[in-house]
Amino acid sequence: MRTRTRFSRMLVGGVTLGMALSLSACGDNGGSGSSDGKIHVLVYGDATNKVEKAVVAEFNKTSKVKAVLDTIPGATYQQKLQTIINTPQAPDVFYNWGAGSIQPFVKAGLLMPLDDFIKDDPKLKSAFLPSVFNAAAVDGKAYGIPMRGTQPVLLFSNDKVLKNAGTQAPKTWDELLDSVKKLKKSGVTPIALGGGDQWPTLMWFEYLYDRIAGPDLLKKAVGGDKDAWASPDSKAALNKLKELVDTGAFGTNYDSVKYTDGGSPALVARSKAGFELMGSWYYSQQQENAKEFAEKDLRYSSFPTIDGGKGDPADIVGNTNNYYSVMKKTKHPEAVAKFLKLMYSDKFIKQQLAIGNLPTTTNTEKFLDTAADPKYAHYQFDLVKKAPSFQLSWDQAYPQSASEQMHQAVQQFFNGSLDVDGFIKAMQALPTS
Amino acid sequence: MTTQLTRAAAPAKDSGRRSGRARGARSADVGRPGFAWAVPATIFFVLFAILPLLAVAVLSFMSWGGIGDPEWVGLDNWNRVFDDPVMIKSIWLTLLLTVLGVVLQTPLSILIGVWAAGTQRNRAVISAVYFVPLLLSSTAVSVLWRALLDPNFGIPSEATWLFGDGNLFGEQSTAIGVLAFVSTWQFTPLHSLIYQGAARAIPQVLYQAAEIDGAGRVRQFFSITLPQLRNSIITSMILMVVGGLTTFETVLILTQGGPGTDTTISAYYMYQKAFKSFDFGAGAVIALLLVVAATIISLIVVRLSGYDKMRSTMEGVS
Repeated sequence: MRTRTRFSRMLVGGVTLGMALSLSACGDNGGSGSSDGKIHVLVYGDATNKVEKAVVAEFNKTSKVKAVLDTIPGATYQQKLQTIINTPQAPDVFYNWGAGSIQPFVKAGLLMPLDDFIKDDPKLKSAFLPSVFNAAAVDGKAYGIPMRGTQPVLLFSNDKVLKNAGTQAPKTWDELLDSVKKLKKSGVTPIALGGGDQWPTLMWFEYLYDRIAGPDLLKKAVGGDKDAWASPDSKAALNKLKELVDTGAFGTNYDSVKYTDGGSPALVARSKAGFELMGSWYYSQQQENAKEFAEKDLRYSSFPTIDGGKGDPADIVGNTNNYYSVMKKTKHPEAVAKFLKLMYSDKFIKQQLAIGNLPTTTNTEKFLDTAADPKYAHYQFDLVKKAPSFQLSWDQAYPQSASEQMHQAVQQFFNGSLDVDGFIKAMQALPTS
Repeated sequence: MTTQLTRAAAPAKDSGRRSGRARGARSADVGRPGFAWAVPATIFFVLFAILPLLAVAVLSFMSWGGIGDPEWVGLDNWNRVFDDPVMIKSIWLTLLLTVLGVVLQTPLSILIGVWAAGTQRNRAVISAVYFVPLLLSSTAVSVLWRALLDPNFGIPSEATWLFGDGNLFGEQSTAIGVLAFVSTWQFTPLHSLIYQGAARAIPQVLYQAAEIDGAGRVRQFFSITLPQLRNSIITSMILMVVGGLTTFETVLILTQGGPGTDTTISAYYMYQKAFKSFDFGAGAVIALLLVVAATIISLIVVRLSGYDKMRSTMEGVS
């Protein structure tokens, strides 16, 4: 009996000790971007990573401090980033969408203002289109260097379907309504919409608000002026949208369709729908998924103008760009600065263009002819260059904590469970900081 | 664990029928399970269940956005959650889905389990195929059904007489229907497996006796099989209830709580609050409520069923 007690005590002691040791061991190696003499670069994991891999390899050829590329796949990037950003696992440099997406980090004092980098190398700022560069400034300080490319939202269409219905890509809102009517008559869904993902629905709001109320309304709203949402312009935009939904432009089952699983692009590619409003990446996605359609019948145009609206018809919305931001606590700021310089190198621009991305450096124009599709690249670049305003997607302009409620309100307005006043109330309730 | 411990500790109280086991325990006195045996499990339980639970309890009184230092806000999170119409709605939705799960899965899995407990070879093969959903992760199952139910290219486009325009995920009633159907599809095999095992353990003499008394198959099922399965029904129902309260992946992938908040069940709402809106305080409150609810419901089921008395069904005597 006595031996057993002693044995059990030993067991308890041993197990406890073991646990304690293994736990502290975890604490030691679990971490740290920069303590190992490397810089960790964290990016959104997708097909574009091949360019980032090449950039890191290029950088490592000459640098003593090596860069390591980490990726987080898919749509959970923002959530996972937020969970690791204040831990030893945080990267040195990370991918983001500028504006609202990094605002909480700036507020928490985690990010390094890049002014000193820019002072040492003015090209870190001057090499990029100003409107794009400024979208990653918080309180007048630069916190991001543009990377990857700009992604304006365009109105894509299936030329064959439009011709069948006896219509064409609309230049004005009335023409759009007319096209919708004709398409409906020819038996297809006029406009494909991946409402199940919610953010594709948001794009319609973004353009209608921009065309009718101009870009200032959202600027005010994000700045904390909740009355902006209750303005007559806001109501006018919502009523126009409601009118479009009620004509059956999107069919009846759009909330069961997703963009992310290929549902809505397939509608257009297989000639079951006429239009789809989507970011510029749509083009390369159709090239990949429906090559024959993409080569023969895929067309693109800008969002129609709306009579009497305050917004400039040349305005665009979408993802202004992606950015690299730098953590304050990085142990190798010189190496990071050197790494960021690659973002405006000729080689990087060409590599991005080759996979269909459109970098926003001032000299991109020179290289447009080397793009995967020069015509499309020229079209996009001109659009971005001439746009008086480039409205960042609402869910990125607002802090991340607002996006879920925003998406819900957007979906509920489309399916009729929120009316104009209900939607306005929901938007007023969003957190702005 | 507990039953073994008490039985071993009080062998004298055991009646004659269990004497075999009691004798065995006495003769191997040294091997009697002591407290030490439970130490590793206890340490893991404390480390990975109790401590995090306490941490969540503390967090529920704090305001924390995932970065920076949490700030003490007292009952603020609790008040907010209790005043939140979406939260109230999510509780009803959770209960509805749980009840739907139990109501749909129990009869189905009893029938399948009892059928599969037979001995013919074809049954073994068919049941093996039938248990395949068990092997798939919830994520895979959800992705699969999402694709199958695409309104334009999936099953609904072929069977318009049944599905209409196929807007299954765009309306609350059908979205809930899909969620209930998918969990049934996914979990009925598990529960059938439980019933298959239990049905095989029913002594054949009972059926032989019933046959002599002239009872038909239906009568046998209701008078012998079903009563004999009682404890398995309780086990399976507890699993269903707890599973229903913690359903998450199917909602995350199939509906994302939508349309609007129409399928936002509590577990998903917790995730949404904590990891999408970075309101960890409110998330912690919901998490605690779920723990409390699951515990209470499990206790009620155990109590009502008399499971706590641990009556044996050995030799068919309950």
